[in-house]
Amino acid sequence: MTGMDHRVQGVDHAAFPTFDPAGTVRFYRDVLGFPVVHSICAAGWGPEDHPDFIHFFFDIGNDDRLAFFYYFGTTPWGDSDRGDAYASFGPEVPEYFIRSRHLAIHVDNYDDLMEYRRRLDESQWPVEMQIQHETIESIYTHDPNGYMIELTRAMRPVTPQEDLDANLTIDALLDVVAEPDPSFGKLLARKAELIVQRAADWELTQAGETAGK
Amino acid sequence: MTALYVLDVPENTPLAKVAAQDPQVTVGRIGPYFEITSAGPIVIDRRATGCRHAVWYSSVAGVARDSHIVQHDKNALRVEPV
Repeated sequence: MTGMDHRVQGVDHAAFPTFDPAGTVRFYRDVLGFPVVHSICAAGWGPEDHPDFIHFFFDIGNDDRLAFFYYFGTTPWGDSDRGDAYASFGPEVPEYFIRSRHLAIHVDNYDDLMEYRRRLDESQWPVEMQIQHETIESIYTHDPNGYMIELTRAMRPVTPQEDLDANLTIDALLDVVAEPDPSFGKLLARKAELIVQRAADWELTQAGETAGK
Repeated sequence: MTALYVLDVPENTPLAKVAAQDPQVTVGRIGPYFEITSAGPIVIDRRATGCRHAVWYSSVAGVARDSHIVQHDKNALRVEPV
């Protein structure tokens, strides 16, 4: 769709700070069973007054990794109990916004999702929610650092038309946010125009590609 | 004319079926979308579709500029001419 080669290969690692390395290791290694696969013990150096730190990695499957930084001698900066080790929020910030940033880890099927539910429910970090979304089912908890962690499985494969729909949504969104006062209603109106312009041709192209296989 | 577009995926097919039960409503297709049209309002009862809320509230792909949504809650989706 972009006309460019798509060469990337998924998440190498996503990194988060922690003030609680013991809880972090208990949660990811001992409760969830994610192996520790890499760590760096580094003396502080550089232009800033950088503390000594440990950078440690858990295998989250598919050769992807979840990494943490523990900085010796540091304590949390935020004074709010809303948020996580990275950021804290005042009472003016709504809960839906705080919950918007999270990490979702994929599992293959319902049995695997329930296995991780069992592991969490037996720990001090039980599952807080289990939700069937539009096409995925997820469990959620917060890790010892306050980070929201989701484990999720697809309830069915994604269909080709959902990729078309996603692209029409984004094109409509870009048009709507370029104008004053963007709204959901304006997006649906713009998207309706794009559906009329492009959806029939897309289906013909799909049919041609299928016939050519 | 009221026009509502819904992507044809398994979760959404009950919406098109329920909409089509109204003799005033026509359910056609444009590419992989249901094109649901009527000279008057289009009303779809959520419970009749059996859609759970996550599906229900994300089922509308587009609404033509001469139409607008006047109700989209746990009971029904209602689209009327402007």
